[in-house]
Amino acid sequence: MASTLPTLAIPGQRLAPVSSYAAGPGTHVQNANIYASIAGPVLVNPASSKTAKSTLSVSRSPLRKAAPAASPSAPKSTAPGPSKPRYNTLPAVDSIVLARVTRVQKRQATVSILVVLDESASNNKSGPQPTTTTTTPTGGSSDNDNIEAILSSAANPENHSNSDELRFQALIRKEDVRAVEKDRVVMDEMFRVGDIVRGTVISLGDQSFYYLTTARNDLGVVMARSEAGNMMFPVSWKEMRDPVTGAAELRKVARPF
Amino acid sequence: MTDRRRINGPPSGTRPAVFASSLKSASGDATERPRRHRQPNELRKIFLKTGLIPSASGSAYLEYEPSASLAAARSSPQSLIPPSSALKLACTVHGPKPLPRSATFSPNLVLTTHVKYAPFAARQRKGHIRDASERDLGVHLETALRGVIVAERWPKSGLEITITILEAEDDRWWGDAPDSHDAPWGMMNVLAGCITAASAAIADARIDCLDLVAGGVAAIVSDDAVAEEGSSSTPKLMLDTDPAEHKSILSACVVAYMPARDEITEIWLKGDHSKASLGVDDSSLGHEALIDGAINAARGAHTVLVEAVLESAERYAGLSSSDS
Amino acid sequence: MSTQRQATSASQTPHISPAELSYLYTSLSLPQNPIRPDGRSATQFRPLTAETDLLPGTNGSARVGFADGTQAIVGVKAEVERTVVGAAASYTLAEAEGAGDLDGEGGEGSGSAAGAGAATAGHGSWVQMSIEIPGFRDDDALPVFLAEMMREPLVESVSSGGKGGNGREEGEMGGGLKGRLVINRRWHWRLYIDVLLLSQPLSYPLPLLSLTTHLALLATKLPKLKSKGEEDPFFDDDWNAAEYLYPRASSFPKFGGGTATGGVPPPVQHVRPPVTLLVIAVGDNVIFDPNREEIAVADTVLAISVTRDGGAEGGLKLLSIRTIDPPSRLTQPGVPNSENVATLGATAGAAGSEEQQSAAVLNPVTGEEEVPGVWRPRRGGVKRRTVAKMVKLVLEKGGVGEEVLEGLESVEVG
Repeated sequence: MASTLPTLAIPGQRLAPVSSYAAGPGTHVQNANIYASIAGPVLVNPASSKTAKSTLSVSRSPLRKAAPAASPSAPKSTAPGPSKPRYNTLPAVDSIVLARVTRVQKRQATVSILVVLDESASNNKSGPQPTTTTTTPTGGSSDNDNIEAILSSAANPENHSNSDELRFQALIRKEDVRAVEKDRVVMDEMFRVGDIVRGTVISLGDQSFYYLTTARNDLGVVMARSEAGNMMFPVSWKEMRDPVTGAAELRKVARPF
Repeated sequence: MTDRRRINGPPSGTRPAVFASSLKSASGDATERPRRHRQPNELRKIFLKTGLIPSASGSAYLEYEPSASLAAARSSPQSLIPPSSALKLACTVHGPKPLPRSATFSPNLVLTTHVKYAPFAARQRKGHIRDASERDLGVHLETALRGVIVAERWPKSGLEITITILEAEDDRWWGDAPDSHDAPWGMMNVLAGCITAASAAIADARIDCLDLVAGGVAAIVSDDAVAEEGSSSTPKLMLDTDPAEHKSILSACVVAYMPARDEITEIWLKGDHSKASLGVDDSSLGHEALIDGAINAARGAHTVLVEAVLESAERYAGLSSSDS
Repeated sequence: MSTQRQATSASQTPHISPAELSYLYTSLSLPQNPIRPDGRSATQFRPLTAETDLLPGTNGSARVGFADGTQAIVGVKAEVERTVVGAAASYTLAEAEGAGDLDGEGGEGSGSAAGAGAATAGHGSWVQMSIEIPGFRDDDALPVFLAEMMREPLVESVSSGGKGGNGREEGEMGGGLKGRLVINRRWHWRLYIDVLLLSQPLSYPLPLLSLTTHLALLATKLPKLKSKGEEDPFFDDDWNAAEYLYPRASSFPKFGGGTATGGVPPPVQHVRPPVTLLVIAVGDNVIFDPNREEIAVADTVLAISVTRDGGAEGGLKLLSIRTIDPPSRLTQPGVPNSENVATLGATAGAAGSEEQQSAAVLNPVTGEEEVPGVWRPRRGGVKRRTVAKMVKLVLEKGGVGEEVLEGLESVEVG
């Protein structure tokens, strides 16, 4: 059956009947047939259980065949040529995002979403294991190939205000910062402007903001600079330290890997 | 609408100079109106390429093959003024990006379209402020695309489609008096080009679409070879008309067409073809013949579109590099 | 308010819940006889009141009010303006004056034929239309689109260049409205049609504006010309002697002397301005004059302009078709119970994807899987046969188009 599927699909191309596959991302259903809705390589995700159909999807990201490279880790560094990174993925409920704090208020922090992490990672989230492989650039390879570049540029204070209108804005409300002692949260001791935060989307929110939460061990501040301007390292779930001055600052820290 | 904040020139405008010598020369080719060398159902070649503008999330460039007379005039110019013009346009897609703060919540992708003629695109200079016809084109384009995009996959976000027309189709042959057929027929060709290019750019931006929508033009013309055959010229249905090649266009139609679903997302038909009976057809069926003709033209453009999108997908997926 | 969304779709994005939309769609798409919210039949128009010649400062005016309270006023003003002659035309003009009777022949050189044509054909830009809708800037997309939509059939109403020099012999108003505006080679009338919608549009205002414009143009009079030929124009200042822009059966000899009727006694209604009808398709039904709720669930919205054919049989002819973006594409989807977190506690993340549609059935019209009673925004376009059906219903003898024109003829003008 897989032989009838094209490797590359273009929008409007009929892929398969719904009786044999389930429609995944990048496809739509019409007249009991699955049609591609974006241009890209066709992927078949095998069914998770015996009864379910395998899912047919059209990938938004370039297909990296593991075979020709022969070393699965190699493509990462050699690949930047053909693919230009694209940030077309929208934040959806349950997707994990990296965001930069733009404003800290008494009841909430405003952040600007930099990257929506890999879709496959967020899909797995419905399962019981919240531990993630998200930031490690595994073979899934996504839009977010150069997360490192985005983060390092975003963490620089001078880059802060240039493109916020082009990014999706989100709120972390005081109640959503951590799972315990919610009423004792002091926002100033959780986030500072400029921090990079890993959070998960809990709601599409209103007209202007998404809502994020960091109420999990693996969520929270992942990168921060001290008042002296140095990159800090985490020392506990609520503290980070400046390696140069040795001063400690309070944060809601994400569990490092 | 006119620009009310500035002091404007005379509303009627001026006409470019046409020299008597170029009109009069008894044998000269310069006076000759460009002729359609193609068959009535033969389309001009289309050049279409995607992904030319790196800062946009999707982009496309479209160009029509110059008509035979234009190509001849370019190689050996006999007049300052080329006999007709071709179409060249660039389309960029920005987004999906957040809506402006003032916007209300939208569960769907909010599409905005801008069509702008470059000031030098047409024979008559266009201002930098979009005029009524450009806004009108923008609405037509938006209607054509709105039906194609799967908007509910992109909540709370906006998509901006900007088309810059670098060279526009003429509305008429310059040698004709300005009023011979003054309806902006060239706009319809421009719209068809805009639809095809925007479709390629959207596919390049990987926005979910039902199908690749293509634009096509058909027209009922009643002119050809008036001089030779005498008075009565039977109106004919022509696909992909170049207005400069025809003395009078009775009516024309643009469609945006999705071949996979056999559906039309946009029709723009205008003109009076009630006097024109197309051979054996009943005259009341003229509009259906026009729409069918435009659909056939769109099918032709669709084949080009498929090629261009496939090519861009291969490039993007890195398949072409490994294959070759 | 997001003006962008407002301006470009067929009316304001409707604030109707998905459940209501689904109910409306179901009742409007019932096979054979749709049930409309206000009990009309599919081809029935809303009642309206109309009067003409109410503004003394205009050449012609009309007011139309719909029963829902929306009103529009149209004023038509005419000015005499000097014709800007292109270089090519002015060059041939001198020649044409020498030759005299080139007009009407096939033309020898293209230049001279075109020049002669220019003197009689008129120009589309001589008709200006502007529409004022409360809540919209005059350069917003909606007024511009509406104005173009209504101006287009007006200036096209008799194909302009189609008959070349012969146009003048053919019918009542050779060259259409444009030809009527020509005074002589150097002067013409410029027509300003100003449309004022007096209230916020409750539905897509096209039918209202089109009917009002039609009546105003019917009532428009131009002063009687006293001068002859190529003289500077000079008019009779007796307003009672003025002539209608669209000549009546019982009216005086034709303006400008050029439009001979060709011997055939014209029917009572001959040349009339076009009307633009708003037609929607819901399922397999075609519905006319939709109100706001109906347009919100339409699969297709078309604006179809028709006018009387000049011929003796008085049929209708099609002048233009435009699709209008149906607002149903922007509506909020309903959530089926199988995906609703509140009712089932199922995974919220799957709500957006199409993976869970086991209960879905196929909608025969849209070809998409749908759960009955759950609204989904329309997507895709319109089939060819639907367009053909809509146009046929307008154009056919005894069809809706004729009915509307007859209804308008019963409005006493002048």
